[in-house]
Amino acid sequence: MKALTRRRWLLSLTTALLALALTAAWWLAGNALRPADLYTGWLLLGLLLGLAFFNARKKLPFLPLLAASTWLQIHLYAGWLACVVFALHAGLRPPGGRLELVLWLAFLIAALSGIFGLWLSRWLPPRLARSGESLVYERIPRLRHGVEAEVLALVRQAEKETQSTTLADFYLRVLAGYFARRPPLLAPLAGDDARHHRVITELAALRRFLNPRESVLADQLGELLEAKRNLDAQWAGQRLLKLWLFVHIPLTYGLLVLVGAHVWLVLHYAHRL
Amino acid sequence: MAKSVSSAPVQTGSIPPQGVASRHAAPERWDKPFSADMQEVDVDLLLAHPLFVATDPRRFPASIPLRGILKNDARVRRFQRGEIIVRQGDYGHSAFVILDGAVRVLLKEPTAEQLGHRRQVRPSVWGSLARWWRRPRFAEQAGNRGAAAELELTRDGEARIFLQDVPGVLAPDRTALLGTGEMFGEIAALGRTPRTATIVADQETQMLEIRWQGLREIRKYSPEWKQQIDRLYRERSLRRHLAETALFWNLSDEVLGRIADATRFETFGEFDWHHAYHRGREAGERERLEQEPLMAREGDYPNGLLLVRSGFARVSRRYNHGERAESYLGKGEAFGLGELISGWQGQFRPLRHSLRALGYVDTLFIPTAVLEEHVFPRLTPAQLATLTQGLAPEPAAPPAAPEANSFLEFIVAQRFMNGRAAMLIDLDRCTRCDDCVRACAATHDNNPRFIRQGPESDGVMVAGACMHCVDPVCMIGCPTGAIHREGLDGQVDINPDTCIGCSVCAQSCPYGTIQMVALHDAAGLPVVTEETGAPIRRATKCDLCIDQPSGPACVSACPHDALVRADLRSSENLNRWLHQ
Repeated sequence: MKALTRRRWLLSLTTALLALALTAAWWLAGNALRPADLYTGWLLLGLLLGLAFFNARKKLPFLPLLAASTWLQIHLYAGWLACVVFALHAGLRPPGGRLELVLWLAFLIAALSGIFGLWLSRWLPPRLARSGESLVYERIPRLRHGVEAEVLALVRQAEKETQSTTLADFYLRVLAGYFARRPPLLAPLAGDDARHHRVITELAALRRFLNPRESVLADQLGELLEAKRNLDAQWAGQRLLKLWLFVHIPLTYGLLVLVGAHVWLVLHYAHRL
Repeated sequence: MAKSVSSAPVQTGSIPPQGVASRHAAPERWDKPFSADMQEVDVDLLLAHPLFVATDPRRFPASIPLRGILKNDARVRRFQRGEIIVRQGDYGHSAFVILDGAVRVLLKEPTAEQLGHRRQVRPSVWGSLARWWRRPRFAEQAGNRGAAAELELTRDGEARIFLQDVPGVLAPDRTALLGTGEMFGEIAALGRTPRTATIVADQETQMLEIRWQGLREIRKYSPEWKQQIDRLYRERSLRRHLAETALFWNLSDEVLGRIADATRFETFGEFDWHHAYHRGREAGERERLEQEPLMAREGDYPNGLLLVRSGFARVSRRYNHGERAESYLGKGEAFGLGELISGWQGQFRPLRHSLRALGYVDTLFIPTAVLEEHVFPRLTPAQLATLTQGLAPEPAAPPAAPEANSFLEFIVAQRFMNGRAAMLIDLDRCTRCDDCVRACAATHDNNPRFIRQGPESDGVMVAGACMHCVDPVCMIGCPTGAIHREGLDGQVDINPDTCIGCSVCAQSCPYGTIQMVALHDAAGLPVVTEETGAPIRRATKCDLCIDQPSGPACVSACPHDALVRADLRSSENLNRWLHQ
């Protein structure tokens, strides 16, 4: 068994056993008329703070606070455990109070966004790697602009050298729009290559109108189209890999604020009672 | 990066008529002499010196006359007492001959500070925290940077480094004296190895410095010089090198001496291989292979053992109309041993592989007869069986597909086997979060020391980070020795206090991993020179977080186990990581 697979099995099993033990303890505490919800509440708060510290660790790379990969493993499995503790604490049905409902929804969305991010970070990178050369996200707009300029120059060159407008017409009819288009947000999930293949097919269909010189230029055009496809794939994929964090992290901080309010309210009224 | 495919089409009449074309002299070997100060009168004086009296100029070809070599590949330098001529561990490209005066070889190495090096100490956690708190607002802030006390710049910009505490360090019981007519530095110059000792001027001394190209020609055409250089090498380095080779362990000094006497020195490839490498990157794999000098041919019968002294060589086998790499050899590794033993045992076999020089390779050739007399009889049957393993004719099973070795081919083709700490990124795991880049910036003056981009093969990227090479060509030619190898773990580091921003290292690095960056002041404004107003720059590169308590920040910051700093000399660890 590979090392990473072994690690995954080991940690999954440990988390499952811990979750079972916690559930049993919660059940026993409930039966013994102990404040089981208070225990699970404090445990959940601790887990949430621990989960949130993963992001703080990233800001302190110069401190020997364990490797980020270890932190991610802790984050993942503590996250699964937090879901179980949350279910024990708040139940599987939406609570009645407004604050509790918002809190319940915030946890749910934060957890789901985390699960989506985990799946995405395992599913998408191999597809990006197979798509073509890996690129730095910030450089892609400049590279895309360069490809667009090359395509335009190529079409002009074809028109000038061959006195033929076949490629120029194709540019106006198809390519200009194709190059102006940016891939939609969820394009990586849909495997959005259909439009690219349609453009390639249309270019192939033009071949019967091209002389040998134009054919050479059309070959170069095909390579630029391939470059554009990879640029779009890398850009859209990396954008999605970054964007889910813009949901997960702010929501986590929001959740912590709501949890603070929840704890204050609980302690406040518990004291009065 | 998107590949540019708009190569200019060949057009009829695209070559301008000769009258319009800009005219340049054809490049010649001595377009850039070693020193512009060498005059004909200096050459006359050198030729009349006892060093060259016995050297017959008629042995040199008309295209490379001795006079031309001395004028263009040599220079006369004066050193003051206490001035450091070469430092142990530095990479040099020249040898020195004492014309007048004396120098001292330091038998006991002084401290790093006394030699103008920076002492690296891993800080505590609190030290790291304090440094983070005091971090500059702007990238690459000049701060208190200034030339170190031991560094002096001459009027022509040449850097000179003086030893601190001269009387203490140059005490006779801690040094060996070399006088007029003696040579040193030839091992590092011709063998591309680090300087083996620090040498300091004992008094005002006049030296002839010959760069490696000139030394190579003089050794080639002058039997007297060849004899002297080879004698020095045999005396100073060869026996030690042989004794460190596993095959010759436990041999007596006498036997080692006989082997050393019979050993021939051979070099393959260009010394400045990084220039050829830059040219070759544009060429296809087939052209690149053809440019690699053949050291031994598959199918030939070996007449001796090739021992790699420095550099790398590709071990390859024919595969239909091409050749595929099966492994590569580095320093201390031997080629042809199994076939030689098999022949000694009575079963003569031709070489199963070809050997090609990857860049510059310096080898030792030990003739078969010497090995058969002194070495093979001492090997145990188990050792002999191990060494001849795999030499039997292969069964009829089809050979492995060339794709099976594609990552190895990639490493060899890109010359990455030079890397001791190459940054490999598993693109199947990397989420492009850039946490590695941010961690690098946070630990290095707000400016990351690498680019998360580079050549890829089999889903693995070799990112643009310093690999801390086995053969660090970036260190050759650094005028101040600012770029140096740290003794402890062998990291190649740049001392910002002695870097003068000449960019020699950045231009030499074959992999483009050294960046020249402009310095800023506390207000974020560029720092410029008083004389010309030109921005002051310094070389920056990955230092493997030598001054961080947690090691390389890029590795510890990667949440997905996608990044590793790998020693590409060994494929074992690499394979383990690739298949984890």
